[in-house]
Amino acid sequence: MHHLLDTLASGIHDTKNQLFIAESLIAASEAKHHIDLSEARYAIEAAAERLSRTLAAYRLMRRGANLAIMPCIVADLCAEVALAQRQHLATAGIALAVDCQFVDEWPLDRDLISDILNNAVQNAGRFARQAVTLSAMADGGGLLFRVEDDGPGFNSLPPKMNTGLLVAERLAQLHVRRGCPGELRLDNNSRRGGARFELWLP
Amino acid sequence: MTNYSKKRFLVIDDQPLAREALRSIAQTLGAFAVEFASNYQDAIYRLRNNVPDIILCDYVLGDGRSGQQLLEELRRFNLLPDETIFMMVTGEQSYEQVVAAVELVPDDYIIKPFSPEKLMLRLDRIMEKKLFFAAYYKEKRRQEYANALAILQAKRDSEAGRPYRYEILRQQAEVELASGDAEKAEGTYRNILENYNFPWARAGVARSLHKQNRLGEARHEIDQVVAQTPHYFDASDVKASICMAQGEPDEAQRVLDEVARKTPRNYQRKRLLAEAAILNGDAETACAALTDVMTNDTMPGAISPEDRLALARSQVAARDNISAERTLVGLRDSEVQNMNLAEQASYASLLAISSTAKGKPRFTGLRPALLSAELDATARLDVMRAALTLADNELADSQCGQLLAGSDAKKLFATMRSLYALHGREVDFRNLQREIALQRIHHAETTAPAVA
Repeated sequence: MHHLLDTLASGIHDTKNQLFIAESLIAASEAKHHIDLSEARYAIEAAAERLSRTLAAYRLMRRGANLAIMPCIVADLCAEVALAQRQHLATAGIALAVDCQFVDEWPLDRDLISDILNNAVQNAGRFARQAVTLSAMADGGGLLFRVEDDGPGFNSLPPKMNTGLLVAERLAQLHVRRGCPGELRLDNNSRRGGARFELWLP
Repeated sequence: MTNYSKKRFLVIDDQPLAREALRSIAQTLGAFAVEFASNYQDAIYRLRNNVPDIILCDYVLGDGRSGQQLLEELRRFNLLPDETIFMMVTGEQSYEQVVAAVELVPDDYIIKPFSPEKLMLRLDRIMEKKLFFAAYYKEKRRQEYANALAILQAKRDSEAGRPYRYEILRQQAEVELASGDAEKAEGTYRNILENYNFPWARAGVARSLHKQNRLGEARHEIDQVVAQTPHYFDASDVKASICMAQGEPDEAQRVLDEVARKTPRNYQRKRLLAEAAILNGDAETACAALTDVMTNDTMPGAISPEDRLALARSQVAARDNISAERTLVGLRDSEVQNMNLAEQASYASLLAISSTAKGKPRFTGLRPALLSAELDATARLDVMRAALTLADNELADSQCGQLLAGSDAKKLFATMRSLYALHGREVDFRNLQREIALQRIHHAETTAPAVA
């Protein structure tokens, strides 16, 4: 099992290296010719994210999966998600608002949480009419991330779980602090009228 | 936002295309001065000559080397000022597991592929953080620990310090340990653990307990860390040191041997392995580990006279006196003259054992000093070994007595006993042991508070 995981990880690692070279070439062309190819770069990063998420899903669904928990500045995490998604959403006429009310650091797996939030914002953007909001706040002794949109909401509740949501759920459960696991909550109670994604970390 | 046009970048990557990509990204940020290093040695050479402002280092450097090893070496030789940014670049998601566990972390890491904007965001943040800690770094570098702690305390209480609370506590604990206040350091690490069970914080508790000689508790803590985070190799080093102090060199060697196989180019670990092997009576492994260190730890200044003494010690233990003599004679006169008293004592002792003709006069000349001076445990054991070999019972017994009364008694007990046995003096050793135990009881009785 471990051998298979190593083989997959190694293949994905090599692919991401190639994608990085492609992205840097595009960035250099943008600078040289004063053109905007950010959507091409976005597509490359989204492809790399999919690969990472698939590997993460495989790793996290196994027993004994370990997270890499570190203190993370929550506002920085929100800013990175905004950086990755805002321009892409804008091309579809959707505005991404970020409202981070959490000043402190919090122990979490930065890369996986960041990936899950990116995925949640992407999903919201697919169904939103005009706006998506990412917010972070203190809640019940923990940290709550919330992604809301103004779309039609989930078709059914609980919604059908795609890879991203399955990873999010597992990731929440693996974030345990003082014996208490995290939670994923999905409903249609968005303040904007659409779907609401909440990831609560203890 | 930072003006990157004035920052000097060093890009370290063994792959030409990836190097070029990193340079291109740095240039997109506005950088003019971007230097390259294509491998580990090249990177060290460039860093010794000219420290850049920002290092972008790939995690995989080829030839079995990693960016993490480079970072550890740079810190070990003080080649990386706190003000320089070290950014690890990696395609491996698993690197986050490394960073979450280790004590020596880069300023940040970034997973490929990434945009110039994302890199800039991360670099800007590191700059902010370095600015926040600038006054503290200065005091820490000057080893003005009280000032450094006062700055950290003020920062901890400030609103601006809220996003850096864990880092402030971590730095505080490190300074407390460095300044010798292990009890406080333990408290600070436990304070961190109350919020989250970080492996590095629990290892910090273990290190603090070890310094307080609370070995059983230290072992309990570090066993948990090693069991829960097997890829946290530094924790295995801490465990091995505690095992040695507890008089369990066999377990220390087993732990180190396992980790050293996974990190064959970590020569600090090889040194520790040699120390454990010597205590464990496995001179062959000690010789092999130290020979590897001498041959391959190629960083200028990495091989110290202490290493040569360690190799000679393992050769003496392996009864290979010819090699030991060669190792010792290979030290330059200036190196020997610059040794401190403990090293001089070890040098004279090991030379007296390996070549009586060459070493005895020096050893005899030092004898009055050896009887009265404060020496560390390693030097005392060397002196004891030489005195036993030269049948100088008075000197041997004085060193043995000091060692049995000292804090390293458990660590060295088996070695001392076997050396006395080797010279047919088991009974004398037992008598010495009894004498020291009685002294201890007497001391406890006379210093205990009177009971009404």
